[in-house]
Amino acid sequence: MIAGTCVPVWADVYQPTPADDAARAEVAEVALARAAALGASYADIRINRYRRESLAARERQIQNMSRSMSYGLGLRVLVNGAWGFSATNRVEPGAARAAAEQAVAIARANAVLTSRKIVLADADRVVSTWTSAFRRDPFEVPLDTKTAFLMKLNETALAVPGVSFVSSQILFVDEQKYFASSEGSRIAQRMVRTYPQFTTTAADRASGDFQTRVVVDRAQLVGYEYVEDYPWQREAERAGHEVVEKLKSRPVAPGRYDIVVDPSQLFLAIHESVGHSTELDRALGWEANMAGTSFLEPSDAWKLRFGSAIVNLVGDRTQPRGLATTGFDDEGVKADRWHIVRDGMFVDWQTTRELAPLVGQERSHGCLHADHWSSVPFARMPNVSLEPAASEVSLDDLFSGIKRGLFVEGRGSSSIDQQRYNFQFGGAVVREITNGKLGAMVRDAAYQSRTPDFWASCDGIGGPATYRLWGTSADGKGEPGQINAVSHGCPPARFRQVTVLNTGGPL
Amino acid sequence: MFSRDAALTICETVLSHAKAAGAEDAAVSVQSSLESHARMAANRITTSGRAEDVDITATVWMGRRRGSATGNDSAAAALKQLADEAVQIARVSPVHREYVPTLGALEYQEAGGFASATADVDLDLRAAGLEAVLAACRTAKVTGAAFHTARASASAAATAHGNRRYFRSSEAGFSLTARSEDGTGSGYFAGDHFDLARLDSRHIAEQAVGKAVRSRQPKPIEPGVFPVVLEPQAVADLIGFLASSFDARTADEGRSAFSAKGGKTRLGEKLFNERINLYSDPMHPDLPAVPATGEGIPASRLSLIKSGVLENLEYSRFWAQEHKREPTPGPVNYIMESSQPPTAVDDMIEGMERGLLISRFWYVRLVDPRTIGLTGLTRDGLWWVEKGRISHPVRNLRFNQSVLAMLAPWNVEAIGAPQRLSPFMVPALKLAAFAFTSMSDAI
Repeated sequence: MIAGTCVPVWADVYQPTPADDAARAEVAEVALARAAALGASYADIRINRYRRESLAARERQIQNMSRSMSYGLGLRVLVNGAWGFSATNRVEPGAARAAAEQAVAIARANAVLTSRKIVLADADRVVSTWTSAFRRDPFEVPLDTKTAFLMKLNETALAVPGVSFVSSQILFVDEQKYFASSEGSRIAQRMVRTYPQFTTTAADRASGDFQTRVVVDRAQLVGYEYVEDYPWQREAERAGHEVVEKLKSRPVAPGRYDIVVDPSQLFLAIHESVGHSTELDRALGWEANMAGTSFLEPSDAWKLRFGSAIVNLVGDRTQPRGLATTGFDDEGVKADRWHIVRDGMFVDWQTTRELAPLVGQERSHGCLHADHWSSVPFARMPNVSLEPAASEVSLDDLFSGIKRGLFVEGRGSSSIDQQRYNFQFGGAVVREITNGKLGAMVRDAAYQSRTPDFWASCDGIGGPATYRLWGTSADGKGEPGQINAVSHGCPPARFRQVTVLNTGGPL
Repeated sequence: MFSRDAALTICETVLSHAKAAGAEDAAVSVQSSLESHARMAANRITTSGRAEDVDITATVWMGRRRGSATGNDSAAAALKQLADEAVQIARVSPVHREYVPTLGALEYQEAGGFASATADVDLDLRAAGLEAVLAACRTAKVTGAAFHTARASASAAATAHGNRRYFRSSEAGFSLTARSEDGTGSGYFAGDHFDLARLDSRHIAEQAVGKAVRSRQPKPIEPGVFPVVLEPQAVADLIGFLASSFDARTADEGRSAFSAKGGKTRLGEKLFNERINLYSDPMHPDLPAVPATGEGIPASRLSLIKSGVLENLEYSRFWAQEHKREPTPGPVNYIMESSQPPTAVDDMIEGMERGLLISRFWYVRLVDPRTIGLTGLTRDGLWWVEKGRISHPVRNLRFNQSVLAMLAPWNVEAIGAPQRLSPFMVPALKLAAFAFTSMSDAI
């Protein structure tokens, strides 16, 4: 391998020049003008470029190093109260005009299927640029530096006796987005994300038994400094020891336990039970055919108790390092921060310009998102985070007072019903708590509850020093299916008398 | 979409650029696609659109070092950049120990799963069909949410060793969720076909609306282990976890449901009910598939489970080479059927003393790979069966159930006729025991 080698064409080819930017803006103007001429009352266009670099390793070898680039435009039009959308990888004036004609034709053909006029909440006209915060552009870091990182990570985990397999991946994403609307907004944005993850496996060949310990969901809106600053090697060593211990651990005894949930698991409980249930499009039935609806009704804001009085949850597209953090959403609405649950009461929804008026709100919270230039933008989850306690509450403080409990860390399997009531979450690592002290690891444990009961049983939340940001890079929603990257910040929290299952089958 | 000539010309161009840049081996794939869709909810259209894209991937090796680059621009300059970039990545890559030389010229069967109607959606015809669905919803006083999709693609691939292939495929689907106005009933039904003209949205709507009406006012039951009849959709919701468990390497490495003690696999064991057969066949008339695996091996019929016996595991080209055998010619789809004449769902119910009739499952996740243990919930139609007839709708339930136990020799009582739910053809199943662990309030 050649030390410190950048692949030069990468930077040269895919960094847009001022001429590229001008050409892109011209294509947008052509599409918007054509849509207006054909009778669109509103139109917006996203012309986006996505660069990805992906490296994967298993044990002591690199399995894949690849890069991809995708560039194209997606145009959305409103004609006679119906939406139409057309997208193409050909970013040039002729294709933009054709896209406008196709989008308008689709909207017109579907006019017979409309039953109400779509009204968009007012939005400011914005001409701006925004770039996510990062110190080191991952695409300028030599590939061999990255392969060395993965190989060392795997070696560290494999050095733990009993570890059989390690797989690791790192993905870097660079989104360069341009938005233009018929209302005059023109916004260029750039987001850089870094996604490291790995899995350790211990297999006992004699007995045929095996266990895995995943370390995923740590993606953030940051640059390569995340790889350099975070103690990944210590995590790899820990994951090695934990998977070996897990293989030898005894199965959990099912029953009711007081549980303390670490941010590495609680983020997912927040995502599934709070993030999805407070999407207004779900409550209105717009996702009924796939992701489902919500146990919350559109009229529930300010009326329904969501959890105990210490529970405060915010929607926040401004959160530093958050995967759903942005300058402006995909219809040009400035990033917002607002309470979804305040003092245990459900107080507000996630909204877009189309959704906000349906609950009497004049402004969108800025949740419109398309995962690709070829995708129809729709309501997607912002970062939804649990606020820490005002004073410092440590993990030990949360353990104290628990006679028989479990401490749940990391991601196991997760499942929740289509109205976001009944959920079952497994942890990557689960340990017993006995008389306030952390004890032995147990395996095959999953906690199961009902969203309002679970949050009502929350009687302890960690302080500011225990707050961590986790996130999922592959949240699915919509038809055709789209993927969203979203973060959830939280401290650890304690929940009383939660049902715990043993999910292990007979071997 | 690209014609055969256009797609293979792009492949040849990228191959020649890669060779000129120093690649010793190379594989290029080109795909062009067109997708059209319409979504409805709350008995009206919500979003509708179309998208066209191309995907060109160059993977190259030099001195067994591998590099890969993907782009979506077929302009001449972009093709050269793509090849050059793959080569430059390969130059700085470590040696890839799992390198297998690319395929040479091979014969492929003619692909059957393409219909031009699917590639060219008639917008007015689609709107008229959806209007009929909405009318059916309004008449039955249910609220409909639906998804209509049609996608067509053309894929070509070429290697430095002379392999050339080109296939077209298409897929159209329609699904409807109908919810009763009182919010206590919900029904879902879905269908798909490679030919949009053969997609029966009227039948799908009738089924979903009927389920919504019949599932109103469900009664709660205590969770427990019950006999069940799974409709084909419910089987399709689980079977993917079995389908993804056939990898030979994972089994050989001792980390799969098909790993055995002492470093062996469970090949040849009668793990399943003796009437169960599971196979892949690209030429299946109702579920034709692209006649090549992802690695380009010509696909042909491959039996995975025969008369309840685990007959084959899936060997990649690398793992086959390690084990001095041929890679498997699939799977490219999954067809489950009985060795005996199928039993109709009505007959399954008639023969049931007490148990549950299940329409579909939702949010199914793997909780234990050792047994293919799954959790998930029932959704959109669950009924209690008593003394051979459907008694009443019941509240949804969460299950925790192993697929190996579900299909075990002693647990399968009856098997229906397989229905297409791409990429599966699966039958209804009557099972002696299925384990539910909690109740859900969700409708």
